Amino acid sequence: AAEDSLFCSSTSKFPFPPSNLHCSRLGLPPISAMELMIHSSSFLLPNIPAGEEDNHRHSPTYALVLLNQRLPQFTPLLWQHARVRVCADGGANRVYDEMPLLFPHEDAAIVRHRFKPDVIKGDMDSIRSEVLSFYSELVSRATSGTDVVDESDDQDTTDLHKCIAYINGAMPNVDKSSFCILVTGALGGRFDHEAGNLNVLHRFSTTRITLLSDECLIYLLPKTHRHEIHVNSSAEGPHCGLIPMGMPSGRTTTTGLQWDLNEAEMKFGGLVSTSNIVKAEKVTVESDADLLWTISIKKF
Amino acid sequence: MDLMIHSSSFLLPSTSAGDDHRRSLTYALVLLNQRLPKFTPLLWEHEQHKFEFAPMEEPIGSMTICLFSSQTKTPPMFAAGIRIVAFKALQQRRGISICFNAYCICLLRENLWFKPDVIKGDMDSVRSEVLNFYSDLGTDVVDESDDQDTTDLHKCIAYINGVMPNLDKSSFCILVTGALGGRFDHEAGNINVLHRFSTTRITLLSDDCLIYLLPKTHRHEIHVNFSAEGPHCGLVPMGMPSRRTTTTGLQWDLNDAEMRFGGLVSTSNIVKAEKVTVESDADLLWTISIKKF
Repeated sequence: AAEDSLFCSSTSKFPFPPSNLHCSRLGLPPISAMELMIHSSSFLLPNIPAGEEDNHRHSPTYALVLLNQRLPQFTPLLWQHARVRVCADGGANRVYDEMPLLFPHEDAAIVRHRFKPDVIKGDMDSIRSEVLSFYSELVSRATSGTDVVDESDDQDTTDLHKCIAYINGAMPNVDKSSFCILVTGALGGRFDHEAGNLNVLHRFSTTRITLLSDECLIYLLPKTHRHEIHVNSSAEGPHCGLIPMGMPSGRTTTTGLQWDLNEAEMKFGGLVSTSNIVKAEKVTVESDADLLWTISIKKF
Repeated sequence: MDLMIHSSSFLLPSTSAGDDHRRSLTYALVLLNQRLPKFTPLLWEHEQHKFEFAPMEEPIGSMTICLFSSQTKTPPMFAAGIRIVAFKALQQRRGISICFNAYCICLLRENLWFKPDVIKGDMDSVRSEVLNFYSDLGTDVVDESDDQDTTDLHKCIAYINGVMPNLDKSSFCILVTGALGGRFDHEAGNINVLHRFSTTRITLLSDDCLIYLLPKTHRHEIHVNFSAEGPHCGLVPMGMPSRRTTTTGLQWDLNDAEMRFGGLVSTSNIVKAEKVTVESDADLLWTISIKKF
């Protein structure tokens, strides 16, 4: 058949990667049907560039979720970029206690007033009562006091899960391709908490969620897309990794890394790409499995 | 399916009464490059040093393996051959005296007690005064380029397994501090070491929790020491879904339950009984909180 001869002809005639025309003749799914997903950590920059390289995208919009671990040094920067700030239970203690520490030359009460969360959510077993009443009673000319949503009776989902669900529900019409939920305090501490938080990334695989600490950030690269990661080398890198957390990967291919993968298999018990190095401003990843991308954050 | 028994007796003071099973356990301690957890002095008291082995001729990698036996205030007797020290752990140790109680401050200031035989690895990451201090004491300093294919922890475990080939693996456990937190790719790489050495008992420790692998080849009994650990715990199917996991002894027991990332992962569970059992078709990570030390 004509298709067979096309396939069996010498490799020099067969374009690689095959064009979509060849794919359809061979009965293969078209390569470029896998949508591109572009990632950029512009929230780490003081000024977010408007309408970045891909001019089909809107300027990114952010929400910030604060969990109950020590705030990263750059939290005020994230706060300033975010449209909505949600504390998960004890995360409110962190904002109350630690924001003033990041502004040691200012009056603590003024700092607390300036960094008032929009919502405090969760089962309320960690938030201190004086912190709860401080935010509930806070009233300014422009806004009402913080909304406190008590969910003590829902034990099946983690605090982070509840916050993501809340944000998704509160912003149903937001353009998901340019909206990202930033999360502090999800890493470190108890490992079961961390695993539960990483699981939230997998459970909300169509929502962009980035977990942040002083040392690194993590987000999901869903297998449904091929990925372009734009690296801001002033703020992040060069240490990076790709982790097949839930499921082995039979085939992962990358560009832009020191140790690029070429249809490589990755799994726990075998190869996991860690201590890799970003070499280019743009890293591409294509995989048959959901992967976690992680990159180091430079000292703030 | 063979039974595998687990117990964190290394978290208990060595003077407390215990069963014979616990007494016969042998530990090695690996200190990776972050701040030592507050209970590290307790770990030091537990090490046994009574086995004999020939050190490998070419020890690999840069790591800390400390074997101690002393429960008295006299300097501990080091087992021959395993005194290779990780640079950053070495650096950290000199600055952490304020974290420990008086016994340990004494231990740390007496740097002679920690004289390594060899310091090997990437010389770029060690302060020169630290190198000079130990080389003046007689330590061999050997420069070598990083082996990029394996993590420091991987090298440590491979080394320990190599120097102790005849050890009864069921009563030997490698305790590791500094593997968790920090950069996530490091943490993931360290967790992967548990999977790659699935027939070696390795426990990762932090101030907040411990983690070890429950290989699918065995059914498991976990003996919980409530004075030192719990009640918060979890079972994590890292790297591969589990179609069937069954537990006893937990608040939210699993009954032939499916677990996977993207679905159910057992976190924020609670230990209810002194003995927890786990049986699964997949390798699982067991994690339990450590009580404030």
